[in-house]
Amino acid sequence: MSDKKKQVTRRQFLNYTLTGVGGFMAAGLLMSPLRMAIDPVLQPSGDGDYANVGLAVDDITKDPQPVEWEIEQVDAWYKSDVTQKAFVFKDDKDEIVALSPKCTHLGCMVSWEGSESHPDQFYCPCHDGRFTKDGTNIEGTPPTEPLHEYEHKVEDGMLFLGKAYPRGEA
Amino acid sequence: MQWQQDDIKKYVQAKEYIDTIIMPLQPFHLTKDEKIAQTSYENEILTIFSNELEKELSGRTMRIPSYTYVRSADKEKEIERMKTWVTDIQEQPFEHLFFPTFDMTWKKHEINLPGNLIWLPVTQVEEIQSKEFKKWIHENVLQVSELIRSYW
Repeated sequence: MSDKKKQVTRRQFLNYTLTGVGGFMAAGLLMSPLRMAIDPVLQPSGDGDYANVGLAVDDITKDPQPVEWEIEQVDAWYKSDVTQKAFVFKDDKDEIVALSPKCTHLGCMVSWEGSESHPDQFYCPCHDGRFTKDGTNIEGTPPTEPLHEYEHKVEDGMLFLGKAYPRGEA
Repeated sequence: MQWQQDDIKKYVQAKEYIDTIIMPLQPFHLTKDEKIAQTSYENEILTIFSNELEKELSGRTMRIPSYTYVRSADKEKEIERMKTWVTDIQEQPFEHLFFPTFDMTWKKHEINLPGNLIWLPVTQVEEIQSKEFKKWIHENVLQVSELIRSYW
């Protein structure tokens, strides 16, 4: 054993040491620029908040159509797939609108033209709440604010939806 | 509404709007090895179903904890116990009570139940994350909520 140890010369020892230390220093210097260079790859989170809802923009019509997609929701104790829903249509200016079907009164699911006596409106079956096509709550019915609207964007001809926010505050 | 702190705080503010109870009937047992898996599976999917049903109609319904009983128990005795739950519930202005279940033995006792039985035939799926199962839940939720709405 002691014979073997003596086989490492001073020159070799210095070589190993310098290569090792130098290597670490070089790696340390390279790390930050490298990390910055590939950062966009590591962080799809800009897109992560948006989900492809499986609807081509060309298929969006003037009539609100229901779409459903799933997002992963994490709360303190559980991680679960939660189904999100929206009504998607093009308004008179040909802009895409995606409304949340959650009634702003107490949270039931509204449906488009859900009441025969009120065509061209969103209708909540729980307490007869109604909203016009653009999501505005109709006075005299229980809801006190418009339906929430999803942020949206278009990529490769597909519709992506983000979070729903109260109208007027966006 | 769920029987949970946040929802209950909302409920207390808006109770005149919430008049319908969803109380699933869930059997429990650990006897009979060959049946436990099936019963626990039914328990699992009835829980999912009831929660989804509540989501659809949350502004007017309250989904309370499941009424749980030993599978072999005498149903008439259980109905007496269930009535004590209902008496408590009716301290609040609830008008409609619905009891979703997969346990078909309730059907014979339906007339004595202190609410409306919703007996659903169970579906067998391999995987509760499957599309097939989600579709089943979705369709049943829509049909049962239509049924509930017909009582309003």
